[in-house]
Amino acid sequence: MRPISSGNLWKIIGISSVLSTLLLIAGVGFAVKDTLYPKGEAFSESAKVSVLPAGGELSEGNDIVITAIGDSLTKGTGDASGEGYVKQVVALLKQKYPGKSVRLNNNLAVNGLKSDRLEQLLETDKGYSFALKQANVIVFTIGGNDLFQILSGKSLGNLANELNLDKLKAEMPQGLNRLAQVVKRLHLINPNAQVVYVGLYNPFYDIEEFRSGSLQIQQWNERVYTLLHEYPNMTMVPTFDLFENTIDRYLSSDHFHPNHAGYQQIATRIVQSLE
Amino acid sequence: MKALVRLLPLIQNETLKIWKKKRFLVIVLVLLILIPIFTYAQYRIKETNEMNFKDWRNQLVQQISEYQNTLSSDRIPDEWKRSQRIAVQQLQYYLDHDVNPNSPDGVTFTRSFLSNAVTLFFPLLILALASDLVSGERTSGTIKMLLTRPVCRWKILFSKLVALSLYVSLTVVVSAVLCYLISGAVFGYKGWELPVFTGFVIKGSAVESGFVHAIPQWHYLLMEAGLIWVSAMTVALLALMVSVLVRSTAASIVTMMAAVISGTLLSNMASSWHSAKFIFSVNLQLTDYLAGSPPPITGMTLGFSLVILVSWGIASLAVSFFVFTKQDILN
Repeated sequence: MRPISSGNLWKIIGISSVLSTLLLIAGVGFAVKDTLYPKGEAFSESAKVSVLPAGGELSEGNDIVITAIGDSLTKGTGDASGEGYVKQVVALLKQKYPGKSVRLNNNLAVNGLKSDRLEQLLETDKGYSFALKQANVIVFTIGGNDLFQILSGKSLGNLANELNLDKLKAEMPQGLNRLAQVVKRLHLINPNAQVVYVGLYNPFYDIEEFRSGSLQIQQWNERVYTLLHEYPNMTMVPTFDLFENTIDRYLSSDHFHPNHAGYQQIATRIVQSLE
Repeated sequence: MKALVRLLPLIQNETLKIWKKKRFLVIVLVLLILIPIFTYAQYRIKETNEMNFKDWRNQLVQQISEYQNTLSSDRIPDEWKRSQRIAVQQLQYYLDHDVNPNSPDGVTFTRSFLSNAVTLFFPLLILALASDLVSGERTSGTIKMLLTRPVCRWKILFSKLVALSLYVSLTVVVSAVLCYLISGAVFGYKGWELPVFTGFVIKGSAVESGFVHAIPQWHYLLMEAGLIWVSAMTVALLALMVSVLVRSTAASIVTMMAAVISGTLLSNMASSWHSAKFIFSVNLQLTDYLAGSPPPITGMTLGFSLVILVSWGIASLAVSFFVFTKQDILN
């Protein structure tokens, strides 16, 4: 390549950089105008209509798509491996249906979520409905925080000594009402998917004063079962029995959430209930 | 007009001097090495996301959920929560309007690369050009020859200033072009017309969407490049001043780097020290105002930052010209 003469080089650099400068100054002008005098404009998006996957038995279709929503139990808090029950359900379903594609669509669980907030999310959040509509299996947990996190803002582990059984009893009807709303919404969003609710357990069974809390928990579970029973595609798996005599084996060190083995048992039960 | 015609050869001389010193070549080489690295990193992220998520919407929903989990934790400082809350609301806005904020294409990559480069990477490139503009002449002794010519001193400095500005513009544009060309080879050359939302108004930790509007991405990119140019010019003017004041080029680079880096650190931690907003380097991240990210210190706006940057620029110009025309050249 022949070296460019300095005269030509100057022309090239000069012209291109002057043009660049003008372009950039125009950019500054647009940015200042746009930021200092903003105009709100409605944006018309092309609404995307998602098609619900067909219902029916899992063994019939080719794809199993799982969406998980709920609280810290669904998040997998307490499981040192981070899998929680959701990822173990995916793995177990893969074993159960070897030829099929099993996919976790979204795990949208949020630590500390209560049923009123979940209902709000189901009602307003397009992302939630989008992810739920794609699924043919929906797993969820909710209610634990409604019942136990009576003093909001306190971490759950420290609550044991302040837990008040009467308060627990008082919280229950409100919690159940909200759960009924959640279930209704869920059915509206996706009536085809198989929905599994993971029942509550009493994490304080081994503390003498709170053992009778199990009776309230059982009442909760029974009421929830009544709610779910209306919809043939919904069911509940019990977990209370795992955390009574074997509580040390299955509960994590925060004395509230299950550990890996505990989640494994829950996952096994969920998979057993799906067909 | 006559004065300008007589200045032109001087400017040409200074422009060619910078070119012959191969400073711009170094900048292009740095870009040619760094952009493929970032492109590859982005490509890996894209691959992981495609493996885990069927649709960008699923990915966005998951991202929002993860932010919400961080928000529910008691161990996160309130400042972080605030910016996360804002991020959640903006992502939610994109989701609600069915617009992908991180579409994998060349233009989107360029947009995010440029906005990440504005506080450190561009200042660094500019320093490579500007730091030895005057001090280099002093180190090599050529300043005596320069000043013994029958030309006013201010004209010499002015021609250096114009040459520097030309290269600053060229650096910003060439970075954007290279970024687009390289990343486009991997992600595709599309994305010019994609909508981008701007105009988010932040009040506390809430985002008001009354002024939000969608603009095509090319327009956004143009505005972004313009704002980066303002930041880069401010750094260039300050570097020119330091180069006039300090004898050695090394000292000049270190001084400017220290100023720029301390600004970045301050933006991250000094949100309670309100006077820090008058420091130029806290104001360099102009592109955040477009994206609607919370400013480093509450109350800062694009107008404020522009005024601060322009003031610093004018002040450093004044100092440069005053010192350069009055200074004794001793060595």
